[in-house]
Amino acid sequence: MTDTAVDAANLRKRYGGTVAVDDVSLRVRTGEILGILGGNGAGKTTTVEMIAGLRTPDSGRVRVLGLDPGRDRARLRQVLGVQLQEAQLHHALTVSELIGLFHSFYPHPRPVEEVLELVELTDRRTTRFEKLSGGQQQRLSIAVALVGRPRVVILDELTTGLDPRTRRRMWAAVERLRDERVTVLLVSHAMEEVERLCDRVALLDAGRLVALDTPAGLVARTGAANLDDAFVTLTGSRPEETS
Amino acid sequence: MTVDTRRPGLGSWLTLVRCEAKMVVRDTAGLVVPIGLPLLILVMNASAAGDEVVVNGRTVLDVYVLPLVLTIVIATIGVVNMPSFLAYYRRAGILRRLSVTPASPAMVLIAQAVVSALQTIIGIGVALAVAVLVFDANLPVRLVTALGLLLLATAAMYAVGMIVAAVAPTPNSAVAIGLVAFFGIGALGGLFGSRETLPEALATAGEWLPFGATVEVLSDAWAGTPIEPLHLMSLSVTVLVGGAVSAAFFRWD
Repeated sequence: MTDTAVDAANLRKRYGGTVAVDDVSLRVRTGEILGILGGNGAGKTTTVEMIAGLRTPDSGRVRVLGLDPGRDRARLRQVLGVQLQEAQLHHALTVSELIGLFHSFYPHPRPVEEVLELVELTDRRTTRFEKLSGGQQQRLSIAVALVGRPRVVILDELTTGLDPRTRRRMWAAVERLRDERVTVLLVSHAMEEVERLCDRVALLDAGRLVALDTPAGLVARTGAANLDDAFVTLTGSRPEETS
Repeated sequence: MTVDTRRPGLGSWLTLVRCEAKMVVRDTAGLVVPIGLPLLILVMNASAAGDEVVVNGRTVLDVYVLPLVLTIVIATIGVVNMPSFLAYYRRAGILRRLSVTPASPAMVLIAQAVVSALQTIIGIGVALAVAVLVFDANLPVRLVTALGLLLLATAAMYAVGMIVAAVAPTPNSAVAIGLVAFFGIGALGGLFGSRETLPEALATAGEWLPFGATVEVLSDAWAGTPIEPLHLMSLSVTVLVGGAVSAAFFRWD
């Protein structure tokens, strides 16, 4: 048993004439938090969706905890938690009903109470999904990704659209996952978030992996003043401009 | 890596069915048509139709009004309500979200079908209770046959609903397509008056379509007259075609 939690090799995916992901290889260690950074259309979401088994790569190979997302689909679902970008939940169900629903899918789930506390939604437990604010919906989406006690978690745009205070709370939740040695793939275009949370960063640009290093390493390698400038040096644009 | 492949068990199914039931009950507007409309039609026609015996001691109410009323219950739930939920789940990304859990999105379809069946049972129960207790309606001459036919008709309407859910791109269009399908097969099948007033070609088409076929077979079960194989075949073919079309075209995301 190696210490590699996620091993993606030479992933390629094209949609019609557009190459979305072009020869991306990533190796994520157990307990590591890997940031996947890039502007819009860089291939971040497509990459993690191939790792999650939501999309089949045109070529390349994925192993998550040694499991093939295509062949070992059922087993992978037990150990992988995914927060999808823009996925909603049943609008007329309440927070605790929804967490309870996802709770019922897993063999060894976290207690609903514990999950509510983790994402600080205990006081919203009887509120319907449709009545939650955007930030609360986002937190609930993370809650249902974590309720099954996953060993690997994919968080796609964890804090996009959240206010600064909620953003910090979500960061604290991810740091708790680090303490539990959960492996996290964090898709983001927020530099501050990546800098604070991630052990290493995979920088994607136009479907290609342009750098894979620690945040400090990226800064040092480009001679930039900070990660923001390093991003510009490596991709030629700012992430905000492309999103 | 040792990971068990345990599929979600009975507890998970019950939770899911309960959640789907809450979704349906909280969508109050969606309950008005399948429960309210049939009752309205029943009340409007019952007093006039209650006394006149047609055959085997069964009245116009039993042989013509009740079959229509029950068909409306089954069709509105199967053709309009159920697909609108499925289209919403797809549009909102809920089916996709479930596909990354140990639960398959197909579980939601089945749970929704179970809840729709419960809704149908309640709708039929309410309509029958009002008809029998208030308007002195009679039970079908062939009761067991009638129950079997209700099952077959429900399957046929689900099949039409699955086609609607498969082709509708958005939840709104699912409601629109579902209503058009319902009123289309309904108009040809006797929803707005006897099929005999329609041009012959349309009346024949209506009899072949699942709404008209359901009205006909239920009418026969109530009257105790022979059931035409044509109508049973129409309902069975609808189940097969609906299953095949939705299996081929249903998109999960």
